[in-house]
Amino acid sequence: MLNIIQITLKGIFRDRVFQGIMALAILFLFIPSAASLSMRQVTELSITLSLSLISFILLLLSVFLGATSIWKDMERRYTFSVLSLPISRTSYLLGRFFGLALFLILTSALLGSVACLVIKVASGVYPSERPIIWGYLLLAIMFATLKYILLVAVAMLLSTVSTSFFLPIFGTICTFLASGITQQVYEYVNSPASAKAVSPLFKPVVTLVYYLLPNLAGFDLKVNAIYSIAPNLVGLGITSAYFVAYTSILLGASALLFNRREMK
Amino acid sequence: MRASVPVGLFVSGILLYGLLIGPFTSYMRSKPIEEKLGYLPSVKLLKPLSADQKELTAASLVFKVMMYFGSLVGKAQQGTLIEQQPDLQGMSRLLHNAVHLDPYNMDAYYFAQGFLTWDARQFKVANDLLDYGMKYRTWDWQLPYFAGFNHAFFLKDFSKAATYYRQAGQLSGNSLHINLAGRYMQESGQTDLAVAYLTGMARTATNQAVRKSYQERLTAFKELQKIEQASVRFSQERGILPASIEQLLQTGYLKTMPVDPYGGRFYIEPTGKVTTTSKFAFAGVKK
Repeated sequence: MLNIIQITLKGIFRDRVFQGIMALAILFLFIPSAASLSMRQVTELSITLSLSLISFILLLLSVFLGATSIWKDMERRYTFSVLSLPISRTSYLLGRFFGLALFLILTSALLGSVACLVIKVASGVYPSERPIIWGYLLLAIMFATLKYILLVAVAMLLSTVSTSFFLPIFGTICTFLASGITQQVYEYVNSPASAKAVSPLFKPVVTLVYYLLPNLAGFDLKVNAIYSIAPNLVGLGITSAYFVAYTSILLGASALLFNRREMK
Repeated sequence: MRASVPVGLFVSGILLYGLLIGPFTSYMRSKPIEEKLGYLPSVKLLKPLSADQKELTAASLVFKVMMYFGSLVGKAQQGTLIEQQPDLQGMSRLLHNAVHLDPYNMDAYYFAQGFLTWDARQFKVANDLLDYGMKYRTWDWQLPYFAGFNHAFFLKDFSKAATYYRQAGQLSGNSLHINLAGRYMQESGQTDLAVAYLTGMARTATNQAVRKSYQERLTAFKELQKIEQASVRFSQERGILPASIEQLLQTGYLKTMPVDPYGGRFYIEPTGKVTTTSKFAFAGVKK
């Protein structure tokens, strides 16, 4: 499995994905000047922009790398040669996943340090009334990374059942969009305000979808980092455990499906 | 022959682009300003669409309003704004959407406070927005400070204003806010209250357009203050209220004719209250 992880990382670097990220990361240079346009919250805006950029880059990586990594192997018929080696399909799949996860962690560590520098510069120009709590910033970046690693697992699950890359890519994007609002929809349906507007039959359906789809809203700690608001530590513990549980389910299901998949 | 096709395509494309880019740019620039503020999907749709970038979307909405406002202030100085009512409702809608996406965004509150009160005269809307912000920005003294000013100056609800000012004082640890509240908490101190508030706002404004608009308003209120002081001296020394500003000028209590930067005309009401036809806003001038 370690070999597969290594191969995955090497493959990503060979595909010049890293150079692509660096090209996008040039945008970081413009953050201090963009943030200085703010009237009352220059530092806060610089944190917003930095975290948004990191999120956006990680989203692109998780959707495209996660959805294409297995599909590409099968398309190029690499899987045949790899799977003829004495490794199981499960460890091949897990190796791919952990390789991508590692790459996301590396990327967010690098972008995170750049973001810290940028925020330091911006806050030096126009100091904020609220002190920046770097720990919260770190937490926000960490949980964003976890979120996108989970999304990679979603993409992998979809690519084990799909023969093209359309389902994995669009399916992952849809999951990502839906995962941000399931909490809101669930709360609305279960609120007294909706009792008249929503049919009672609809309620169990929404509840089922709510439990089925990943809930990624909990991983969003941007507000805490931007405005230095203390996050709920117990909540973060539950969120981390949720990440482990949900990712295990996704990986387990992907491995099961991948083992049963016929390869011609 | 074959090689000339892509070259021809490329060159003719470049030529066409060169011809078009000038007219296209000027067309985009001359688009009416209302169009630039544009339409926006409802916040119910905007929230799911912005996924995990709600803070960014909120900030970009605030920027959109700011750019729009900046171009208006620019036009106002050229004297073309008076016929053109700014889209205050649109600005308010965008800022309300922004704080629904990110209830902590201070820029939105700060900006809304500026134009909702002075220009749109929607005091309740402004105060509701500030109250909403105070639920989230529990550490911020500026929101209760703004609310205190709105209650004292616009709504003349002095007891409520004092509560807000006290809250601002407690949060900032600055006794000035409490003193300020006490000093001007009466009808006669209104102009002084406005001058004190506007001086602070103009000093701390970082945005050019916003600072300019506060400075203009401050100039107007300083002119008003001059007339009021002259009027008080007049009535103290002569025992009657001055009938008009011209009378103050003729009797030497005022040295020069005060100018309203908003293009209005100062006058004295029969009650002795000094005011202006512009109501301290460009949109207030009646044609």
